[in-house]
Amino acid sequence: MGPIHPLEFRILMVLTAGPSYGTEIVRRIEEAEGDRMTLYPANLFRRVRDLLDRGWIEECAAPEDADPRRTYVRLTEAGHEVARAEARRLRDLVREAAANQLLGNA
Amino acid sequence: MRGYRALLLLLPRTIRGPFGHDMEELLRGRLERAPGRWSRGRIWIRACTDVLAAALVERWKRLTGWIYKGRRGGMDRWTQDLGQAVRTLARTPMLTAMVVGTLALGIGTATATFSVVSAVLLKPLPYDEPERLVAVWPEQNFNTAMVRDLQEAAPALETVSGISGWALTLTGEGEPLQIEGAKVSPGHFRTLGVRPALGRDFTLEEGVPGADAVAILSHELWVRAFGADPDVVGRTVELASNDHPRRTVIGVMSPDFRPVRGDPDVWIPLALAAGTPVEDDETWHVNDRVARLAPGATLEQATEQVRAFARGIQARMDQTIQASRVETAAVTPLRTQKAGAVGPVMWVALGAVSLVLLIACANVANLLLARGEARQGDLAVRAALGAGRARVTRMLLVETGLAGLAGGMAGILLSFGLVRLVVRLAPPAFPRLDEIGVDGLVLGYALAATALASLGAGLVPALRASRVDATATLGGAGRSTSGRRRSRLTTSLVGAEIALAVVVVVGSGLMLRSLHRMTSEDPGLDGAGVLVLQPSPPEGRYPDGEAFHQYYAQVLERVRAVPGVETASAIHLLPGTTNNWSFPTFIEGQEVGPGRVIPSINFRVVWPGYFETVGMSLLGGRTLTETDGADALPAVVVNQAFADRFWPGQDAVGKELRVLSTEGDPHQVVGVVNDVRQQGLGIEPRPEMYFTHAQMTWNMSFWVVARMRGGDEPLARTADVREAVWAVDADVPITGVEELSSVVDRSAATTRFLATVLGAFGALALLLASIGVFGVTAYGVGRRSAEFGVRIALGASRVEVLGSALRGSLAAVVAGLVVGLAVASLSSGALSSALYEIEPSDPVTFAGVAALLLVVAAAAALVPGWRASRVDPVTVLNSE
Repeated sequence: MGPIHPLEFRILMVLTAGPSYGTEIVRRIEEAEGDRMTLYPANLFRRVRDLLDRGWIEECAAPEDADPRRTYVRLTEAGHEVARAEARRLRDLVREAAANQLLGNA
Repeated sequence: MRGYRALLLLLPRTIRGPFGHDMEELLRGRLERAPGRWSRGRIWIRACTDVLAAALVERWKRLTGWIYKGRRGGMDRWTQDLGQAVRTLARTPMLTAMVVGTLALGIGTATATFSVVSAVLLKPLPYDEPERLVAVWPEQNFNTAMVRDLQEAAPALETVSGISGWALTLTGEGEPLQIEGAKVSPGHFRTLGVRPALGRDFTLEEGVPGADAVAILSHELWVRAFGADPDVVGRTVELASNDHPRRTVIGVMSPDFRPVRGDPDVWIPLALAAGTPVEDDETWHVNDRVARLAPGATLEQATEQVRAFARGIQARMDQTIQASRVETAAVTPLRTQKAGAVGPVMWVALGAVSLVLLIACANVANLLLARGEARQGDLAVRAALGAGRARVTRMLLVETGLAGLAGGMAGILLSFGLVRLVVRLAPPAFPRLDEIGVDGLVLGYALAATALASLGAGLVPALRASRVDATATLGGAGRSTSGRRRSRLTTSLVGAEIALAVVVVVGSGLMLRSLHRMTSEDPGLDGAGVLVLQPSPPEGRYPDGEAFHQYYAQVLERVRAVPGVETASAIHLLPGTTNNWSFPTFIEGQEVGPGRVIPSINFRVVWPGYFETVGMSLLGGRTLTETDGADALPAVVVNQAFADRFWPGQDAVGKELRVLSTEGDPHQVVGVVNDVRQQGLGIEPRPEMYFTHAQMTWNMSFWVVARMRGGDEPLARTADVREAVWAVDADVPITGVEELSSVVDRSAATTRFLATVLGAFGALALLLASIGVFGVTAYGVGRRSAEFGVRIALGASRVEVLGSALRGSLAAVVAGLVVGLAVASLSSGALSSALYEIEPSDPVTFAGVAALLLVVAAAAALVPGWRASRVDPVTVLNSE
């Protein structure tokens, strides 16, 4: 399988911390990325929907005090696998980059 | 936010369902954090583009998935076609921009117009079961007892509620406020099926004098004057009108509540002592009635019952109710009643804008035909390589569809802007103005328009271009025959465009001529340079008419002393407003007796110097002066319409009339003044009387009118005049400060707005049609440049070549013109309700439009035609 879209990886990473819902996913990604990325919610949620279609994430029960209009999602086993594989791939990539002196002498 | 929510409807349910709420929440959060207007604007644009882009991708996937469903390798093919389409569109950016831009203009304008139509005419009123709500006998003034009796006389009406405009003042809550209120039957809100958001509704017991000192506040007033304090319910506040100085607040309406009439801030009950007969009830100010049809009752049944009631009451009170009004007594759906005269015009506007959209489609079709022509070689290669006709057609349709979708999305964005513009330009009296906006229905319309426009503009060119004879084209012989075929098609498209444009431009021409007629109508006074303002003393501040008289006398004295003020006076109802006060009047020479109707004549109470201040002219006798005091003989000035109607051919000065009854001293006519269009520029003047306050000393508020010395900007003196008024009494609220000319002008506001809208459509139609003419001529010239080169080489004059280049397109223009004028003459009657003193078949408009279109079309054709006559034979022949 080829690399997954960076935004999809971001979504999976947010969900490794536990179930979440749309607005919170966007806020967490914005916190993590800062100014590096402008988030477009409709397009982000298209990705979330794609992840649901692929079975990497699934809908789950909301906490009791949650706003009933929110849909909560969580990682599935397959989603965990994909995220882990992608993380390994990126780690190897960074090691290779470091070996090529791309990261300076640190 | 409502627009954004509507926009979300474009997204597929799989996204909107689980995350729609999150998207609204995110946008709201971002808008709240935004530091200024500009960044809020940027956030809005970004959010809308985001949704549109996501919707475009999703819908496109679904559409192509559907087209290719069940075919082997379908997905691959569609990716191929899509890629191909994007590349082709990107290769000809100018053409693509023209196509997308033209469609965006057409779809955007149509969508914005539809959103107005939808709000004014289609959307149900925001009440419970709104289809059962009706307006009752709108032409007739009722009194409270009539409302009560009608309820009993008409079982087809479940409840009837009267509405009457009522002015109040609020003091003791900061600055004194002049408040627009409404007196309504206690069952008013139950008739509408709404309840106050806070507190309670009126009870039936509160419809009795004495128990009626209660009020329900609008949400807006509650916030503005009471700081949204929930404890205001139950409090007694100084909300005064002529019946009670104080009232207990019992409820607050919700911010979403839309009043039936006007925009009142307070509702108070219409009260009537039990058992009062209609004849003894003096509350003849119940101008509007709203009723709820009983379940299963029809409009016809209700109308019949209302008419029977009207006949009965007219027979008893033939001096108050005109017999002619009885036969027109009817109930109409409240929605139709609210749309008023604007309703039919909006349908015309929607028709006009649909024609504009058609013109846009014809233009796009022409552009695509031209491109199809240019790509014949390319397509022939594909055909030779084995692409079937269906495949080529599909490829071309995918291209048009993509461009169409982009045009549609851009059009929707455009319509957001246009809707805001419309709401800003519309006169405040425009029906249901605050409900205009882009919603699901409007978006549905936009999408349908997009789909039809893309298909309409794309299908013929795609079919035509795909009909490629590979051998002939590649052999070089195909060009001339298919070219001629296309040329015929293009020319007829341009003819059709012209015909459509004629229809639209005739419509806008008629509206503009009406507007011109209306605004050039002599209002009967000169309002420029006259400042008006209304000091309204709060209830109880001045106990009686005499005190009011003293107050206004001092105010006028002070205002006259303000530097820059030339003259100042006062009147109780401003000209150019629809308010009326009238007296049953007994006129010298008019017989009185059984079966004779006593005419009810409008009157205004003025102060000395009024006619001079507003620039009216005296046609005979004298004006009202200080000498017409309380002890002098009662004097009256009448207008020309009065004199002409009741004393035709006689001198009115010196005649006598009596008001209200045949008893007492008569008023002597001391002067005749010119007619003033009191009810608005478009309305014929009626007979009128002017009395002076010194002789009709009621406690009433006046509008102060002050003429500034030559050329002084009146509003610049506002502060000084205000000071002068407050120097007499600082606790009197002052409202309605403006120039008299704008008050008079406002009465033409709705006509002006409709004329502006239709005028814009006309201009757009003209622009698009001239682009079409330009295109077809340019195309013809390009195709025939070799021919022109040869003819010039053989000695043809440049003028002959020019004529030959223009002939084709001008023939199409003339044919289009003839057809268009014929269609316009058949359809312009639809506008008649909005026209003022202009016939729908007005020959000047028709001739003017024909001339205008000929000139514009000729100019559009002349530019490329001129190029034809400048062809250099050497260059052209060398390139052949």
